[in-house]
Amino acid sequence: MSNLDECILVVEDDAQIRNFICYSLQSDGFKCITAKNAQGALNALVSEQIDIMLLDLGLPDFDGIDVIKKVREWSEIPIIVVSARDQDKEKANALDIGADDYLTKPFSATELLARIRVALRHLYKQGGNRQQTNAKIGGLKIDYEKHLVYLDDKEIHMTPMEYILLSLLFKNAGKVLTTSYIIREIWGVGYGNDTQALRALMAGLRRKIEKEPAKPRYIMTEIGVGYRLMNE
Amino acid sequence: MMYLKDNRIVSIISNFLKMASLLFLATVTGYIFKMIEFPETTIVLAYLLGVLITARFSKGYLYGVLASVLSIFVYNFFFTEPYYTLAVNDPSYFVTFTVMMITSLLTSTLTSHAKKSATVAQEKESETKALYMLTNHLTDASNMQDIAVTATNIISAVINCNAACLCFDENEIPEKTFVQQISSEKQISRETKNTEEIKHKTEVSQKGYYIDAEFYNWLIYGRDSILGIIRIPSDSAVTMTESKTRLLCAMIESTALAMDRLLSAQQRIKYQEETVQERYRGNLLRAISHDLRTPLSGIMGTSEMIIDMSNQSDPRYDLAKQIHEDADWLHSLVENILSLTRLQDGKLTLNKQFEAVEEVVGGAVSHITQRSPEYEITIKIPNELLLVPMDAKLIEQVLINLLDNAIKHTLPGNEISVTVVHDQDTNCAVFSVADRGEGILAEDLPNIFKMFYTTRAKHADAQHGIGLGLPICDAIVKAHGGTISAQNRKDGLGAEFIFTLPMEVKSK
Repeated sequence: MSNLDECILVVEDDAQIRNFICYSLQSDGFKCITAKNAQGALNALVSEQIDIMLLDLGLPDFDGIDVIKKVREWSEIPIIVVSARDQDKEKANALDIGADDYLTKPFSATELLARIRVALRHLYKQGGNRQQTNAKIGGLKIDYEKHLVYLDDKEIHMTPMEYILLSLLFKNAGKVLTTSYIIREIWGVGYGNDTQALRALMAGLRRKIEKEPAKPRYIMTEIGVGYRLMNE
Repeated sequence: MMYLKDNRIVSIISNFLKMASLLFLATVTGYIFKMIEFPETTIVLAYLLGVLITARFSKGYLYGVLASVLSIFVYNFFFTEPYYTLAVNDPSYFVTFTVMMITSLLTSTLTSHAKKSATVAQEKESETKALYMLTNHLTDASNMQDIAVTATNIISAVINCNAACLCFDENEIPEKTFVQQISSEKQISRETKNTEEIKHKTEVSQKGYYIDAEFYNWLIYGRDSILGIIRIPSDSAVTMTESKTRLLCAMIESTALAMDRLLSAQQRIKYQEETVQERYRGNLLRAISHDLRTPLSGIMGTSEMIIDMSNQSDPRYDLAKQIHEDADWLHSLVENILSLTRLQDGKLTLNKQFEAVEEVVGGAVSHITQRSPEYEITIKIPNELLLVPMDAKLIEQVLINLLDNAIKHTLPGNEISVTVVHDQDTNCAVFSVADRGEGILAEDLPNIFKMFYTTRAKHADAQHGIGLGLPICDAIVKAHGGTISAQNRKDGLGAEFIFTLPMEVKSK
């Protein structure tokens, strides 16, 4: 698959980082458009054919959160948020209002490209709208039709809740899911924001699929944000 | 003392003379009455009047009583038959004498008593006035010197002497000079001699005052220390009546109150200034750190790209790698400074939630293994799920800092472990990060959590820290209501850091 068709919008006010991101993307074969601020980003989104937006949260003119809100009014384009380390709250907030993923500064080119690939994969899946019957990551396999989970070809017994959680993660493999999003998906909107039940559910699930729950191979914890199912 | 005696004799003589002349006057009036043949009772009344006036204008009960007794004899002597003797012909005169005696005794004591009460009331009033004046003036004082000047002035006026006031500084050391009143208008500043001796004497004094060559010194007791002394010249001090002494003590008390109030106001202003300064410094640090962080991300990314582009045999590979490592180190330093400014601001609001220990430990360990993949970190946690109330992001930072430390002091391949147990007795989660490094020097142990403390033990090419990592851990754990400690391992080489977190959310 050639990357040349994909165009990525990089919104970042620092020239150094912009250059570094663009260079990394271009050397991997992506097309790259840059914007220095929120206004430039919005202009570019209207005038160019853009597949993924990489958005720094600390922009000089607008708050990154407002940019996401504005974009989400008319576009479903994948947005990857770039933030500093002390912006956890904003990060989780950005994800909840529609960003697809995030990167914490400083990040490496490898991390950046991995995130972009995950976003692209979800973009195509959405576009194709094709129903998968099963999925496999490493030794972990899920069968959507039979509601079964296999680890190294051995069937694993799951409670209904654990299965719902795992299938939710599988459908968003590689993407970070915020705790509030997961809670909403599993228990419904009225449940509130009590993370304790989710932590317990996750602990049970991990004990079934991970050899060492504190050194997970499949489900990673993004502290302060949520969970991510590794897909590579 | 001579002065005192003279004074008393003068007063006795004057009172005596008053009494004698009044009796004489009464006798003269008696004669006049007798000559114009007024009844005898008028003469008795003249004597009674004399006794009354004596009681009114002399001091104490003595002269009134004496005048009563004497007037009987004088009356007997001059106006009863046989005249000019103390003998009496008519026994009915004894009734007259007795009635006269009782009446004059009663009136004289009543008069003396009324007079005494009036004097006491007057004294009380002047005391209250003096105290009021003192407190009133002291409220206007804006510094210790002002208070000393005002107190000296008013106390001198009330006690009628040349009083002085010596202030102590915040360490209870007497100031170098003290003020003394030398006339009703003028005060001078005198040098304090024997500062050491004064300090010593105030410390051992138990009665609230002590005596030296020139002064009687009353101590001014503040809320928690001695604030100064009021010095009354010895000659005035010995003649002070009890009520004056009481008044002086009351005035010293007001002075102490005023001084205390001033000191606490000053303290408050000082604290306020310090807080403002602290906040200013924190803001500055944070601004700098923020601005450092962005270019550092750029440097790290760019140097990483150069690493990717160059061959491992290329010298540029190593150079870029060095740049990347240094930038990484600088970046974690900046992050630490940021955390610290936030912690010290007191604005740190813990976002406490029940978190699974395995997730937090796992997060910290995976962070470290990404940076230093050559290290193997063992994790020992209970099999059952342990949910502990904490701010996960901050506790992760604690674990990362501790693991960072462990890696700095341990060679790859040696054991580094994170252990968590649930201590049922104290209902705490006990976290331990242990390594197999060279351990902690005994002299470092007590200081290891102090800010900017760095060890003197240096091994070759060790990257030096600036002593922020552990103080941050300390601050975070304490903010959670836990404890943190460091020790050397008992089963061989290596250091161990242990911190606890309470399992219950304490309701405040």
